[in-house]
Amino acid sequence: MGGFFCHFLALRNSLNPNKNKAFLRSEVSMAANIPAGIDKEQAFGMAETEMEYRVELFNRLAQTCFNKCVDKRYKEAELNMGENSCIDRCVSKYWQVNSMIGQMLSAGGRPPM
Amino acid sequence: MAASNPENDLKTQVPGSNEAEQPQIQAIRMPSMEEIRAQEVWNNCAVRSVASGVMGGGLGFMMGIFLGALDNPIMQEQMSGRQQLIYNLKQMGTRSWSSAKTFAVMGVVFSAVECVVEKARAKHDTTNTVVAGCVTGGTMSAKAGPKAACVGCVGFAAFSVAIEKFFDRHT
Repeated sequence: MGGFFCHFLALRNSLNPNKNKAFLRSEVSMAANIPAGIDKEQAFGMAETEMEYRVELFNRLAQTCFNKCVDKRYKEAELNMGENSCIDRCVSKYWQVNSMIGQMLSAGGRPPM
Repeated sequence: MAASNPENDLKTQVPGSNEAEQPQIQAIRMPSMEEIRAQEVWNNCAVRSVASGVMGGGLGFMMGIFLGALDNPIMQEQMSGRQQLIYNLKQMGTRSWSSAKTFAVMGVVFSAVECVVEKARAKHDTTNTVVAGCVTGGTMSAKAGPKAACVGCVGFAAFSVAIEKFFDRHT
């Protein structure tokens, strides 16, 4: 499992480093009492919701791609190459679909049926 | 995802054991980027095939030396002891070099094909071994015509599947 998570960490850092840094910078600016047009309680609430969303996304991503890609017989401790490339593809598809759906939901207001 | 729960380890310990004997439970430590990169080196097809070629070359060299040492010169009675030794050493040298080259090529081709096929399919299967074995056997016997290439393909694929099953027999 350590190998699996380390692969996910590498992918997460490579896929969207700017987005995570921007999120952290916004967190820090909110914590440093820089006025952003909204009061502190709301800012903390939003940051907390965002953090929960991120954690949930990571957990679901790890669960889905683990169930899809890793053979359950556990023949060896390390991830072999086929599993590595399967994880690469699974995470990248998941991330892309997630961002697409997020954009559609945030822009449209209601999903186009 | 709970891979292994450290609290369960604590509960299964004998309550009467003294504190010096209880092993320290380490927290799960995420690997750093250097460790990840060090592990990712072996995922590269070029690195793997070169390493496999080097190992094959070493194996071929050893085999050539061993088999070359067993060869006896033709005119054994007419040569002195020293001449026989020089002849034996030359035999060992040529045989080990040619067999090292053969095995190195075999190792490079097999490892490269298996790596590429496994990365493309994104699955760890015996199909990768079969395809790699077929291509290796085919290229090694390609000089003797298409029929020999087919026979070499099937034979080497069967051989590599057997070797892989042998090495995985405990799982």
